[in-house]
Amino acid sequence: MSRALNEKPNAEPLPTLASAGVTLNGRYLPPPEDKDGKMWVRTSALIHASAEDLYNMWRDVEAAPLWQEQIEKVTRTGETTSHWVMRPVANSSDKDKDKTVEWDSAILQDEPGRRIAWKSIGGESHNAGEVVFEPAPGGRGTMVTVLQEFRMGKLASAWETIVGRNPKQAVIENLRHFKALAETGEIPRTQGQPHGPRGMIAGIKKSMYDEETKVPPGLHRKAS
Amino acid sequence: MKALCWMGSGKVEVHNVSDPTILNPHDAIVKITRTAICGSDLHLYDGFIPTMEEGDILGHEFMGIVEDTGKGVTNLQRGDRVVVPFTIACGNCEFCKKKIWSACDNTNPNAHLMEAAYGYSGSGLFGYSHMMGGYAGGQAQYVRVPFANVGPLKIESDLPDEKVLFLSDIFPTGYMAAENAQIQGNDTVAVWGCGPVGQFAIASAFMLGAARVIAIDRLPERLELARSIGAITVDYSDEDVSVLTALKDLTGGIGPDSCIDAVGLEAHSAQLQGIYDKVKTALMLETDRPSVLRQAIQSVRKGGTVSIPGVYGGLLDKVPFGAAFGKGITMKMGQTNMHNYMKPLLERIEKRQIDPSYIISHRITLEEAPDMYKVWRDKKQNVTKIVIDPWAT
Repeated sequence: MSRALNEKPNAEPLPTLASAGVTLNGRYLPPPEDKDGKMWVRTSALIHASAEDLYNMWRDVEAAPLWQEQIEKVTRTGETTSHWVMRPVANSSDKDKDKTVEWDSAILQDEPGRRIAWKSIGGESHNAGEVVFEPAPGGRGTMVTVLQEFRMGKLASAWETIVGRNPKQAVIENLRHFKALAETGEIPRTQGQPHGPRGMIAGIKKSMYDEETKVPPGLHRKAS
Repeated sequence: MKALCWMGSGKVEVHNVSDPTILNPHDAIVKITRTAICGSDLHLYDGFIPTMEEGDILGHEFMGIVEDTGKGVTNLQRGDRVVVPFTIACGNCEFCKKKIWSACDNTNPNAHLMEAAYGYSGSGLFGYSHMMGGYAGGQAQYVRVPFANVGPLKIESDLPDEKVLFLSDIFPTGYMAAENAQIQGNDTVAVWGCGPVGQFAIASAFMLGAARVIAIDRLPERLELARSIGAITVDYSDEDVSVLTALKDLTGGIGPDSCIDAVGLEAHSAQLQGIYDKVKTALMLETDRPSVLRQAIQSVRKGGTVSIPGVYGGLLDKVPFGAAFGKGITMKMGQTNMHNYMKPLLERIEKRQIDPSYIISHRITLEEAPDMYKVWRDKKQNVTKIVIDPWAT
């Protein structure tokens, strides 16, 4: 399985084992290491909702812009395929302002109520990911674990961190948004609230406080 | 609207800013009728809490009239009179379900900042730095209250604002401090700091069955307030007084059953260690001045409890952990789980068991607030508690 995690996402189908899993045969598995231009992020959340409801919410790909940062529109193109349009915060210069990143994605593993695995199948982004829904021990809701892979150099990643949202952090934040939406029907936000005059340093720190990364709307939660 | 903004360390100003609007379905907009300056606002004023930015609106103790509600708010209506807790809780996550409301998972939009510092994020707070959510505070004419279906407490009686305002923070905070002190009947409890939280901790310790409460401070007006509700007082600034000896003398040599640190990270100390901590914090070798915590751990009896409502923010130096272990003490602390206490404490106010307004020393306008921050920080004009009417001129 660890070998499977190191394979290029576009070269072969995703592993059939639950690679987003955190344990194997009773042993803790650390998240895979970044190397060869590939970055991994694994993150998990305990959510007070049933695995079925959470699976349905995740599987509804066209609703992803409600809780995924910078995703502008997702269109279903088939039973398991979809087209994704992203508007990155990083494009702040005027020339790039309207530039979007687009790709097609395909679901490779689909186990209702348990697991979804996907990868990009063409376009401007190379990514692959998997989400696993497991009942938490002691009936405390559902443990949701996401494993996401990108192809991105360390420099590009550092740049993204400065001008906008590090893509690893974006995966972590997206799961946080997903949890908030599932548990409360909304995503907490402060953008748009009043404040007094911001000084120079506050302006520089804007990206740190995500004032430039718009929180996804989180409204219109579909009754599942 | 007018709002009091943090503009840097030691600098707060009143600015005209835009009115808050509904941003989420469970938001409410509250027109503030009374708000207060909290001792913990002085930590912000002095620049001890990281991730404050110029222009941030301060204030986390406030009440008012509901002006507008989002479409998800079903329990409040325009015109309702409410006290708003300073911690924001969603009501649906693992922690809210466990009634550890101040650890709510879903209300801090900047959770990753707090995760970086503390490992996990607590709930969002009003007007208390971006790490704690970056929510605009209530030393203003209006405020946006998120998750308004969970937090605000409706006041349906005609009790005046001043009697119920402190349900927004300091009365529940003092009460939880006494609860955390695990007081058994006839215990002796020592309380460091006779500011507002200390006062309510003293009053609550008596409510929970303490036989004797010993109050420690240096300001005569505060010690007098503490005596007025039945405490025995110790003035630590008196050259002849050693707090440890005083507490032994007052307990037959065994020490208080419980010690409450209602001072926190900016403790003043009459001794050499006060200078030590001042130098170390100035050099950024430690962030907090824990001289009260040291004393509390040293003074508590064997197997006793140290309860800490005073705020700590970062790294502490020379904390006598060997003494804590050697005596087998229990330590309990944390942001107040407001939502557990507001209703029962309102009932105590309605039954006239306590009138929290006894601590108020100053009533001011918003324009006077910047000066009063300084006056209170410098411990002048006998300030015990400042209440602001944001509409008064």
